[in-house]
Amino acid sequence: MAATLTKAKRRKPSNFGQDNLVGYLFIGPWLAAFFLFTLIPIAVSLVLSFTDYNVLSNSGDFIGLDNFQRMFFEDRRYARSVNATLKYVVFAVPLRLVFALGVAMLLNTWRRGVGVYRAAFYAPSIVGGSIAVAVMWREIFGNDGLVNFTLNLLGIEGPNWLGRPETAIWTLIILAAWQFGSPMLIFLAGLKNIPRHLYESAEIDGANAFQRFLRITLPMLTPIIFFNLIMQLISGFMVFTQAFIVTQGKPLDTTLFYALYVYRRAFELNEMGYASAMAWVMLMVIALLTALVFRSSSYWVHYESDEGPA
Amino acid sequence: MKNRKLVFILIAIALLVLPTLLAAAQDQTVVRISWWGSQNRHDRTIATIELYEELNPDIDIVYEFQGWGDHWTKLSTQAAGGELPDIMQHDYARIEEWVANGLLMPLDGYIGSGVIDTMNIADSSLAGGMVDGQMYGINLGNNSEVFTLDTDAFAAAGLELPALDWTWTQFEEIANQIQDALGIHGIGVLTSDQLWKSQYMGCCDQWAYAPDGMSLGYEDDQPLIDYYNMLLRLQESGGMQSYEDSVARGDQGVEAQLIVSQEAAMAYHWSNQIVAVWNASGPERNFVMYPIPRPEGGQSQNYIKPSMFFAVTSQAKNPDEAAAFIDWFVNSVEANEILEAERGVPVSSVVRESLLPNLGAAQAEMFNYLGLIEMDNSPIRPADPAAHADVVGNIFGPEFVEPVMYGMISPEEAAPYLREEANRILAAQ
Repeated sequence: MAATLTKAKRRKPSNFGQDNLVGYLFIGPWLAAFFLFTLIPIAVSLVLSFTDYNVLSNSGDFIGLDNFQRMFFEDRRYARSVNATLKYVVFAVPLRLVFALGVAMLLNTWRRGVGVYRAAFYAPSIVGGSIAVAVMWREIFGNDGLVNFTLNLLGIEGPNWLGRPETAIWTLIILAAWQFGSPMLIFLAGLKNIPRHLYESAEIDGANAFQRFLRITLPMLTPIIFFNLIMQLISGFMVFTQAFIVTQGKPLDTTLFYALYVYRRAFELNEMGYASAMAWVMLMVIALLTALVFRSSSYWVHYESDEGPA
Repeated sequence: MKNRKLVFILIAIALLVLPTLLAAAQDQTVVRISWWGSQNRHDRTIATIELYEELNPDIDIVYEFQGWGDHWTKLSTQAAGGELPDIMQHDYARIEEWVANGLLMPLDGYIGSGVIDTMNIADSSLAGGMVDGQMYGINLGNNSEVFTLDTDAFAAAGLELPALDWTWTQFEEIANQIQDALGIHGIGVLTSDQLWKSQYMGCCDQWAYAPDGMSLGYEDDQPLIDYYNMLLRLQESGGMQSYEDSVARGDQGVEAQLIVSQEAAMAYHWSNQIVAVWNASGPERNFVMYPIPRPEGGQSQNYIKPSMFFAVTSQAKNPDEAAAFIDWFVNSVEANEILEAERGVPVSSVVRESLLPNLGAAQAEMFNYLGLIEMDNSPIRPADPAAHADVVGNIFGPEFVEPVMYGMISPEEAAPYLREEANRILAAQ
């Protein structure tokens, strides 16, 4: 009896460490992969960004800030890739969020078969970044594709969507808007969390649907909007697959997104040093923008638990 | 439930590990090989490999294949990781760069010892694979650029076939006549960098790059300007597919050329690709191969080049077995009966002669065409400088071809910029 007691006593502090060990063991595979395939490469790429490392010759020298100088002052295509990416983010992110919220509100009602619709609307996002969707998009907007076929029936001769510099990027922006599934699901969860009694009392006070949306739904949803905005902003800057498959950055570099240009430099021209420098600039810009959005959040994000402005 | 999951995971692991274990148990030597190409080439090469494995049960050939662009992306990454296959398909435009970086193995020892038998291969066919006096790539077939004409379309348009030494002026006329008569394009876009490289052969006996590769090889922009003005006229008239349309379609490989789908009556490609083009078009179609048109009073813009090489990499784990496979691939009649000259006209005279009686229509036309080019051609130029991909990918395409073909800038304005920027990149190598 006494023995077991002391054993139990002694076990308590050491047990804590053991629990931790088990925990670390469980996340071990992830941790190992994280260090090996994410953290270390990130650190290496920072070093590489100050070199002219070439993949094929497997060698490079430190060249200080030359890569950055070249990027900002000499590389015309770099400027174009920044343009294309900014245009994409500015239009695709808000569009996707608006679509996501709109559809989420439609699906936030209890009608028959709403589950089917939810699944159906979410489906494009699951296959979203995939090659298959991009290939399909190319067919839809192709010269004899679905869009031009439909326009033809209406007696309109559609333009060459993917071939014209004015329209090519818009096909990719529309593709992004169409892939609204994951922010939609998050919006849907947010909508379900808004207490019904707020709507009921507003209705009694005579607020119409638009007023209820503006005064209740939107403010109550701001934390969700904030979260979705950050996530979409980050993924918007990193857009790659769509341009890689659908347009190859053409025409006239109007869809040469930043990540695609980094890929070209790194893996097609083997200029890993220069590409690393580009990637780090991108990381800084995203970090800065995210910080700005975070800063601004105190002005527009409404938290239920807040004590209000001090 | 948990148990079932465990069993499932164990089975999955077993399935993953099993092939390796089996291979080890059978004590086979693994030779890894990687090539680029069209579906037609993939099918033929895989069938050839299977035959080799049947004949050599102790050899296991593990293959990877991909399109042209992905080939280089993948292999340069593998090179950095020390994971190159034993054999890789190589190209005249890139072999210098790879040798300079110590990634390929000289094959002279294997040739000397007879592992790779070159008795029946002409020196001129081997020369392209030499870098600094050593052999790094075994030529898999002879090749030249070609304009393929659809004779049925010509007949339908009421057009005579041109003379073999046709000029660009005649070509432009024909392309327009086809558009007028049949409502299809004369030809797909002709903006490939290859045509830029050989542009100056016809008029001026020059090449896009200087012999040392440190600058452009021509002084006068006018022939290039004239050529692009012709392309602009053809794009306008529909004699050539519009650049815009080619962008919208994307690069879908040689089998997606307009001539295959009868949306054009002519096509520009490498001579070996006629096998894939004809195969995709169907046996009922009729094609004839023509040299590149030449300038008025100019000389041939065609030259004969090794279509591609097999090279043994310096990271090869089993170079002896790799060399033996290359020897068989090049010299064996059996292998080449399957390959059917899809990589160009075989370099071994024995193979060529044994194939002759049973050639398919495409192969017969290609053999005939290469014979024709042998009579009248320009000499092959040095392999492309290491910065070639940079010049083409970052300057020639986006700063010259695209703005010109979209009418943003005239060829007269764009050509000097191309020269200036290309020279800057070439000098900085």
